[in-house]
Amino acid sequence: MFSGPPPTDYFAIFGIENKLALDVEDLQRRFYANSREWHPDRHARAGALQLAYAEAASATLNDAWRVLRDPVARAEYVLKNAGFDIGEQRGKDVPPELLEEVFELNMALEEARDGDESAKAEVGRALTKFEGLLQEIDVQRDGIFVAYDANPTRETLTSLRSLLNRRKYLQNLVRDARAALA
Amino acid sequence: MAYSDKVVDHYNNPRNVGSMDKSRTDVGTGMVGAPECGDVMKLQIQVNSATGIIEDAKFKTFGCGSAIASSSLATEWLKGKSVDEALEIKNTDIVSELALPPVKIHCSVLAEDAIKAAINDYKTKQGAPVSAETVSH
Repeated sequence: MFSGPPPTDYFAIFGIENKLALDVEDLQRRFYANSREWHPDRHARAGALQLAYAEAASATLNDAWRVLRDPVARAEYVLKNAGFDIGEQRGKDVPPELLEEVFELNMALEEARDGDESAKAEVGRALTKFEGLLQEIDVQRDGIFVAYDANPTRETLTSLRSLLNRRKYLQNLVRDARAALA
Repeated sequence: MAYSDKVVDHYNNPRNVGSMDKSRTDVGTGMVGAPECGDVMKLQIQVNSATGIIEDAKFKTFGCGSAIASSSLATEWLKGKSVDEALEIKNTDIVSELALPPVKIHCSVLAEDAIKAAINDYKTKQGAPVSAETVSH
């Protein structure tokens, strides 16, 4: 039975604290338990209001599960709730030495597309490097999660946003490089 | 989205594509990027150190048509200008010349950043004190 409208906040619908570092296995257990409990079929005879609450709770739970299970989507959700504009252009988030390598990779990609086989080897080397950088970024991200949970400051969220922007940048490059080698 | 005729012209016939030896002391290199769309832009100037006039400018941009057009136009404008005049080029000038729509304004910002970075690099090589305006932005 619902005593009122279910929460619309993704953390609240799971009955957990607003934290960035989440135990996804625990989240999954809660997802299955709440899904069963709130399934609209179980509330069909409890009246129109209870049924509406169950449907709303189930819908929010599904959205929340999709977002919170993924560290990047979770971080973007927390950033958005804190008033950060995720899509904002932040050219300064990419350090100059990384830009050099990005430029070189783009040059090699262009040559590889033009049929230069030797450029493919260069793309392959760059791909390995950028995949490594992505992994490093994910380690840094997890560190920021823990730091934010211990002391939730705006500065921490600002650095998180920069990191996610850098990640997106690298991910696009890795995608292009893989496509060129395929 | 429809590109303006000028953007299409610069995109199809980009001016001054190429690169210069970045180790030369009379060459300034600006490398800038936009993480969201994955654009990366390299803009270089070659300055006559006696007159302070930009004698040549080259660029290479990986990005959308507007980013290519913005940097192509920037190199056209840079040639023949003094370094100080070049610092006066604003992204809004590029926006109005190319009739860029609001969603593409960041491409012109990137080009302005590239000009400033190239001049900054040149000045650093010349041993001149770098003005605050060119670094903080």
